[in-house]
Amino acid sequence: MGTLTSALNVTLGSMLADEGAIAVTSNNIANVNTPGYARQVANLEESPPVPVGNLTIGTGVQLQGVTSLRDSILDLRVNQETQAQGQLNAFLSGGQQIQSLFNETSGVGLQTDITNFFNSFSQLSTSPSDLNLRQAVITAGQNLAGAFNSASNSLTTQQRNTDLSITQSVTQINTLTTQIAAVNQQVTAAQAAGQNAGPFIDQRQQLINQLSNLVDVSEINAGNGSLTLTTTGGSALVVGGQSFALTTQVNPNGLHDIYSQGSDITSSTTGGQLAGQFQIRDQEIPTIQNSLDALAGTLASSVNTQSIAGFDLNGAKGTNFFAPPPAGNVGAASSLKVATTDPTKIAASGDGAAGDNTNANALAALQNQPIINGQTPISAYSGLVFQIGNDVQNAQSNQQAGSQVLQQLQNLQGGVSGVDINEEAANLVRFQNAYSASAQAATVINTLLQTTIDIIPNS
Amino acid sequence: MSIRLNPNILPDLLTAIQTSKQNLDTATTQLSSGLSVNQLSDNPSAAAALVLNHNQSSQDDQFVQNLGTLQSKFQVADSTLSDVVTALTRAISIGTEGANGTLNATDQQDVAQEVQGIQQQIAGLANTTYQGTYIFSGTDVTTQPFTVDPTIGAATYNGNNNANPVQLFNGTFVNSGVPGNQLFQNASGSVFGSLQALYTSLQSGNVNNIASAVNQVQNALSQVGVQRVFYGNALNQMSSSENFLSQDKINLSTQENTLVAVNPAVAATNFSQSQLAYEGELQATSQVLNLPTLLDFLK
Repeated sequence: MGTLTSALNVTLGSMLADEGAIAVTSNNIANVNTPGYARQVANLEESPPVPVGNLTIGTGVQLQGVTSLRDSILDLRVNQETQAQGQLNAFLSGGQQIQSLFNETSGVGLQTDITNFFNSFSQLSTSPSDLNLRQAVITAGQNLAGAFNSASNSLTTQQRNTDLSITQSVTQINTLTTQIAAVNQQVTAAQAAGQNAGPFIDQRQQLINQLSNLVDVSEINAGNGSLTLTTTGGSALVVGGQSFALTTQVNPNGLHDIYSQGSDITSSTTGGQLAGQFQIRDQEIPTIQNSLDALAGTLASSVNTQSIAGFDLNGAKGTNFFAPPPAGNVGAASSLKVATTDPTKIAASGDGAAGDNTNANALAALQNQPIINGQTPISAYSGLVFQIGNDVQNAQSNQQAGSQVLQQLQNLQGGVSGVDINEEAANLVRFQNAYSASAQAATVINTLLQTTIDIIPNS
Repeated sequence: MSIRLNPNILPDLLTAIQTSKQNLDTATTQLSSGLSVNQLSDNPSAAAALVLNHNQSSQDDQFVQNLGTLQSKFQVADSTLSDVVTALTRAISIGTEGANGTLNATDQQDVAQEVQGIQQQIAGLANTTYQGTYIFSGTDVTTQPFTVDPTIGAATYNGNNNANPVQLFNGTFVNSGVPGNQLFQNASGSVFGSLQALYTSLQSGNVNNIASAVNQVQNALSQVGVQRVFYGNALNQMSSSENFLSQDKINLSTQENTLVAVNPAVAATNFSQSQLAYEGELQATSQVLNLPTLLDFLK
């Protein structure tokens, strides 16, 4: 049979357990707005009963431990979706800058200069010996060359800026992996000591989520609470308490490639901001540059060929209108330049007569001839405009859809791990009441003990 | 037990506000720009089609400008030929007088002198320039088309037989003039040749020869009339091209509107709806954020 003293111990244990539970609840309330915090629950457990004769007497309650509530699968899904969002956001940021260079709806772009250039030959055809009209052709040619130069140089500048952002992303990645490795050790140590590793896991999850925004990450549970992080291509980022920094090296194009332990992982990056930045720097911008080069180079070559076929104002054989584009048109857009500043050199005549306009007509007609891969110059440019707009539009659609998925996942994650003030308030009252009841029970037991003590006669 | 919902509703609320704000911004941009496509990604196909539309529209503008240049030049040419006709008519008139045998030798010499004057006047007209170039020397516009020997009255054509085709609209060309030799030294009636014959016959006083020369001048006059028709026809053709181009411009403008313009009524409606939604969203959010918790009721 239990004694009053053991009953008093039960109330004491209960008060201690409730104190612990109240502390957990208070901690939850305190962290209601802490990013990455997973709500904790106090694990209350019956204390082992004591057999007394043929009876088994309960010995109260004890605080067995504190558990952080997380769903690791949800955490993983959130990280995966964060990687996709990071990539799309970085691509969109670059894509929107690119499309602003060709925003034909607000009159920005090459259409006006391409059209004006060919129109200047059409105008010259009305009075081929007019020096003013000849000068207008040179000016229109210079404007066209300037527009190509400017578009190409802006793309190159953006490529360089993106390259700079890539090196900054790598620095951020290395900072995060170093932090994650440190927290990994804390998790392992806490678990080995049988302590609640929840706060460290919260911190680690938050860091991995930030890392996921930057690069594609695969998580492997290494046991002991430790996580191994690699890129999806298998390059180690964090193993236990050790982090592996990514490094950069300048490639022959003057841009930075990313290396993991000596291996070039630039092309195998599939997620996060880094992948989006690579897409802009290594795919989108070069593709547009190639199209611009093909357009500028082929246009210049066609105009030159037709110019050479004609005669200038003095009856001399025509010469190149544009400086000949580089071999394979590589860099043709950025280097496009009008070769002559002498208006009499424009080869408007087809037979050497000063007033003949045959060649001016032929030059003007190039505008509507399929000289660029079976397309007219303006159709080829229109195709480029479509491609740029379409790439951004696709990324926008994917980003919007992905952002909804991410939000839903975060809501599900919040459903498991988020702190609910009402719930915590209810728990607070619950534990407060239990504490008060235990204290009241202790008071009663105390009275009983006093009564028992009072039975003993004074000696 | 029901599924535990995310107690932190702030992200959802902020997303809703952000979406409403974006819609409001879009409506504002559309209203202020008058365009439904303000960036390529808003409608890539429309933006690409707009490039072709603007290109065609600019080409049309250039054709209209070409038409204007040609029209001015043709009007000068036509007016010059009108003066030539007047001069030739005068030559026929005085030549006829010389042929009817009523003039004495001195008068015939006077008439011959007048014919020479007419010839020089026509030579001046045949060498008319427009904006610094000769209009009757074919495509050899920097060379004076006719030189006339002041003594014997023989004219030499220094230009060429070519004419420049100028584009009026896609695929349609008109020649920018008639070469001078076709006008003034046509095989079916040469202006200079007939005037020279008239001058020579008047000087010699042979009535029959004078009559024959007058006939030649009449043939030359007819031929100038025939060639002059080109200018009339070309001006008509240009006028109809101008109509075509102006219709094409209207069509292109309509197409541009269809592609990228925003319907003002729709834009205004979108704006009011977005504004209402945005304000509603803000109000709802402020109310939700101010909802009491259980803590407020615990005493």
